[in-house]
Amino acid sequence: MSRPCRREESDGLHARARAMVLAFERGHAMPEGFDALAVGLARFQARSVPGYGRLCAARGVDPDRAQRASDMPAVPTDAFKLAPVFAFDPGDARVTFRTSGTMLGARGAHAMRDVRTYDAAALVFGRVMLFHGLAPPVPVLVVGPSPGEAPDSSLTHMCALFARALAPEASVERTFFVREGALDVEGLRARVASLATAVPVVLLATSFALVHLLDALDGRALPLPPGSRVMQTGGFKGKSREVAPGELRREAARTLRVPERAILGEYGMTELSTQFWEATLVHQGARHGVYVEPPWARVVPVDPETLAPVAEGAVGIARIEDLANVDSAFAVLAQDRVRRVEGGFELLGRAADATPRGCSIALDEMLSSTNESG
Amino acid sequence: MSRTVDTRLADVRRLLGFARAVYEERARIAPGIAAATGLTPEGVELGFESLEQEASDAELRALVAGAEETRHVHVVLSANVFVAPLRALALARAAAERVTVRPSPRDPALAVALLQAAASAGEEAFEQVDDREVADLEAGEIHVYGRDATIATVRARVRPGVVVRGHAAGMGMAVVSLRADLDVAADALARDVVAFDQRGCLSPRVAIVRGNAARAGRFAEALHAALGSWEARVPRGRLLEDEGIDARRWRDAATFAGRVWGADRWAVALAAEGAALYVPPAGRHLTVVPASSDRAVAAAMAPLAGRIVAVGTDAPAEIAGLAPGHARLSALGAMQRPPLDGPVDRRPGRV
Repeated sequence: MSRPCRREESDGLHARARAMVLAFERGHAMPEGFDALAVGLARFQARSVPGYGRLCAARGVDPDRAQRASDMPAVPTDAFKLAPVFAFDPGDARVTFRTSGTMLGARGAHAMRDVRTYDAAALVFGRVMLFHGLAPPVPVLVVGPSPGEAPDSSLTHMCALFARALAPEASVERTFFVREGALDVEGLRARVASLATAVPVVLLATSFALVHLLDALDGRALPLPPGSRVMQTGGFKGKSREVAPGELRREAARTLRVPERAILGEYGMTELSTQFWEATLVHQGARHGVYVEPPWARVVPVDPETLAPVAEGAVGIARIEDLANVDSAFAVLAQDRVRRVEGGFELLGRAADATPRGCSIALDEMLSSTNESG
Repeated sequence: MSRTVDTRLADVRRLLGFARAVYEERARIAPGIAAATGLTPEGVELGFESLEQEASDAELRALVAGAEETRHVHVVLSANVFVAPLRALALARAAAERVTVRPSPRDPALAVALLQAAASAGEEAFEQVDDREVADLEAGEIHVYGRDATIATVRARVRPGVVVRGHAAGMGMAVVSLRADLDVAADALARDVVAFDQRGCLSPRVAIVRGNAARAGRFAEALHAALGSWEARVPRGRLLEDEGIDARRWRDAATFAGRVWGADRWAVALAAEGAALYVPPAGRHLTVVPASSDRAVAAAMAPLAGRIVAVGTDAPAEIAGLAPGHARLSALGAMQRPPLDGPVDRRPGRV
């Protein structure tokens, strides 16, 4: 495919993906079916991303004959560490997000030519799930680095996006509270103390940053205004003590003086353009541990060996179909185990290794490859 | 506690005699080994070829010289290939008059057979203990064969003064020189891969081929053919669920990144020179990577240096300076049979 044609096709697919996002935001019917756009993306990616073309060929899949998203193979997250996963010339990359985990020194890379689709997907679903009921300006406090300090982190990009949307006037100093790798607890305390009590805030943190914050506060409260909410995301990656999700939520709720239901888990990955949220803030019956998808993304538990969908309610590896991943991989195979439940899916983390046979080093021992939010 | 060198040599030689007796009677224990390891009967028979039954005087003297004498060694066999207990017992016996052994709960057959052969011959130095608490050991040494986590757990529990020697998991690498006949080298390397279905710490997982990408591709193709031929003679056994999952993930990602020959029973992937090296899981999988210079060979090995236990090559003299100093250097096809002159794993910092 010639470059101008490829770009034109990509632009068209981006527009279709954003139309879905926009329709969702406005409460309209979806402009097209999930599978229709998924198949369009798959065909485009098979022609434009050499690795995906090879993967399809190896599986004996003809993209032009695909009828549904599930007909097409998913790209393992490891591939993002090994080869380019983008459908454009390298010089056209507007932004490249990188995984925090490495494979023998190589970080996974997710390059984007048009970041508007990512931004629209993140913002619209974030508004629904996290900012629900809030009207800007709303102070945003990020227990993480600023984009200046972490320019290739997709999580930081998302946090900055939220901050710009909710608090357009706020400075970096009043928003991001990890500076040069260190948590600025006193800065955060001072910022919280300066807030009006009538305006709720949104606090965004990784799980390990939240643990560091709680440890630093050492039992002291940091009361957020009523109506505030907290996002926690990712694992611990050896960066803090490990705390069970329920315990961390309880500790955070006690310290920040917010209801537990206002502390939301977010599940995202550098390799994706869409995030998934716990729905405890928006649905009365929702429970923690269950994540929901927007209409332009699906999480399908699949058998880790056959990659076929598992029976309803069974545990499988997450095959994530993300229609906002226009120029990379519309279907990504993660290493996390998931299970479909009423209202969404449960995230069960990585499988514990079985007792190994022999003394050959295991893959997980060799690779420190964490693929969560980067 | 002071045995003479000759006494210690004689003690180890007697153990080799027990190994010969076990080998002669291997049909009795082979089904149990196959069940425990997942190897096919042919795979078990091939594995037995790596059981040390003979060693030269020089090799045994090196083994004894490297074993610091102590009163008692307790051997914990956790995760190993099934013939590994022989070397573990030889090292322990070279070091101590008294050796207690906790066989692998998953795969105890060979260790138990050796201990039974020793007992039948009236040898009293060895004792099988299945439930020893390592914290109870008051002095001496503990030799642990297992994962890093297992070794760390033992280290954390022993009393002060007890020495823990850890023999951890690792991997092998192969280097194919510019002079090598690719078909001959591929066939020899395939033997190293097939043995124990690649579950040994000597098992090669990556082959660096001197030359350009086209030459590495030809080698990958030859290796694929050789593994196919081996599969007909020594079929691969069952993989654990985790191993199967890792294999699938590796194959798909390697296909995305480059070219892969083979499929379910074995696979060979071709990586680009300088690209991130994606080490395959055990089970008869190899990544082949071209290296246009000696420097490229060293660069490909560098990130894995701490994990490499063995390097197989057709040109040992050329490769010696490029491989990690601790790695056992062997001819291709002989990686699984290093001389009985000390531990298989010679990586530093294991005490």
